[in-house]
Amino acid sequence: MRETIERADRASMQLLLGAGLALLSYVFVGVLLFTAVASLIVIGLGVLPETVLMLRRIAGYKRRQVAQWSGTRIPEAYTPLTGTLVERVRKAVKDPGTYRDLRWLVVHFVYGLLLLYVALPLWVIGVIVDGVWCGLLRRGAVVLPLIVRLAELDARWSRALLKPSPEAERNAELAERVEELTETRAGAVAAHGAELRRIERDLHDGTQARLVALSMRVGLAKRAYDRGGTDPDTVRRLLDDAQDQAEEALTELRHVVRGIHPPILTDRGLLGAVRALAASSGLEVSVRDDGVEGGARAPAAVEAAAYFVVAEALTNAAKHSGARGAGVELARTPRGLRLCVRDEGSGGADESGGSGLLGMRRRVAALDGTMDVTSPAGGPTEIGVELPCVW
Amino acid sequence: MRVVIAEDNALLREGLVLLLTSAGHEVAAVATTGPEILPALLEHRPDVAVLDVRMPPGFRDEGLRAAIDARRQLPGLPVLVLSQYVEETYAAELLGGDASGVGYLLKDRVGRVDAFLDALERVATGGTALDPEVVTELLTRRADDPLDSLTPREREVLHLMAEGRDNTTIAATLVVSERAVSKHIGNVFLKLGLPPSDSGHRRVLAVLAYLNKA
Repeated sequence: MRETIERADRASMQLLLGAGLALLSYVFVGVLLFTAVASLIVIGLGVLPETVLMLRRIAGYKRRQVAQWSGTRIPEAYTPLTGTLVERVRKAVKDPGTYRDLRWLVVHFVYGLLLLYVALPLWVIGVIVDGVWCGLLRRGAVVLPLIVRLAELDARWSRALLKPSPEAERNAELAERVEELTETRAGAVAAHGAELRRIERDLHDGTQARLVALSMRVGLAKRAYDRGGTDPDTVRRLLDDAQDQAEEALTELRHVVRGIHPPILTDRGLLGAVRALAASSGLEVSVRDDGVEGGARAPAAVEAAAYFVVAEALTNAAKHSGARGAGVELARTPRGLRLCVRDEGSGGADESGGSGLLGMRRRVAALDGTMDVTSPAGGPTEIGVELPCVW
Repeated sequence: MRVVIAEDNALLREGLVLLLTSAGHEVAAVATTGPEILPALLEHRPDVAVLDVRMPPGFRDEGLRAAIDARRQLPGLPVLVLSQYVEETYAAELLGGDASGVGYLLKDRVGRVDAFLDALERVATGGTALDPEVVTELLTRRADDPLDSLTPREREVLHLMAEGRDNTTIAATLVVSERAVSKHIGNVFLKLGLPPSDSGHRRVLAVLAYLNKA
């Protein structure tokens, strides 16, 4: 009984707020009329956008109220009123949301008050009837739950009137997607820039410096040779050094190239390259392919990221997990490439530790991809990556 | 020796020809694209073939595939494959079941002329030349296995053995006596549980088979 009363109480509060809002709309209709008349003599156009914004605020309040009552959000989709005054007026007038809100305002003015008027006498009847029904006969309440039904009715009607037209809702979704893409693209551009700077630094500090040193030593050897009478050992030592420098420069270049785009991807494609990784991982690795081999290849950046993730994951598995075997799955999906690396090792992979997980995540994020790591203590460790692409 | 070369880069090709002819070898033919390799090898039957992995028209692994095809058609044909980078998988494919007369080296190694000519000679006479980088990869990838029970010196010996070096060279490289090398090799085979093997490429094969098994 107590619970029933509390629920009816809450519903009445809801209805009361609705009625209050309906009364407020009554005042607001006055404002609207004033704006409409003023607009006819042009000067009123200045207040039109402000009036529409106020209308949106009132509708927004009702949306929040209904959302709080029913637990589900009513989506909002308005054309933002920005730009010059003329543009703002044009947008306010052209936005279908404005007319939907107006329709709600008028209809709600009626049902907002009506529902409260019905609810108030129900309280009196409810207290008497349910008091006897429940208190004396120990039956369930009958009248008070009706008030809750009234509040539900209010929520349902408001939802139907306030939710944006399907078209507007779709536009809002698209706008949200554009915002998301702008953000991830900015991230990708930044990651790409960082990558270029890293390559530039590697070449500048490593390879270029070594080649300069090498050229210097050859120059010195030539000078020593020209002078004659120099100790042949000195010339020999300079040439030895020069060759060492050349070899180190080559080794560094190989590392840089591997970091940009592993050559084996060019030679063998993603599946072949992953198989090579599996063969050289030191683990018993099974590779499963679902539609990656054959047909068009994924974009080079996606293949390189996938290869990098598998390489890191297998290295981690071999080094830290204690697993004897691992499984790699590659799949072509409608949205792009999905891959999964799983080992039956000890688990407990820590992203904050230097396990390379962070590097993997960055590389995946740069391509607008997602990465999920599950690694409970005791294993197994599973790394799932989705890379969106068209192929 | 008569050598057939496959190399698409003009600079490197000229360098190789110069290097080989100045060492007294004869360059029988030069292939500049992938499809030319096999016919050239079948026609000239060289003492040894020096092949680049990445060749036109596909710029993928044409040289490697040609080497494997050629050895299928001319069993025992010595091939030395050169590449800008080394892959363990490629080494495994090349060695197949027979490491005899096979070489797989980084292009960088050409710079060490004497060592390169030595490797070429070794491959031509049925030996093996495996790039140290491949061997390092083979040796370092595993965490828990009998390799850990080797002493550092034994590891060095194993490394050189896997590259295809004979006892004399190993002894010279490590500056120890040949008897000491034999002793280390005996220990390595014992610890890895391999049957004792005489010197020569069968030994290399046993070692590589063991390392590849993982």
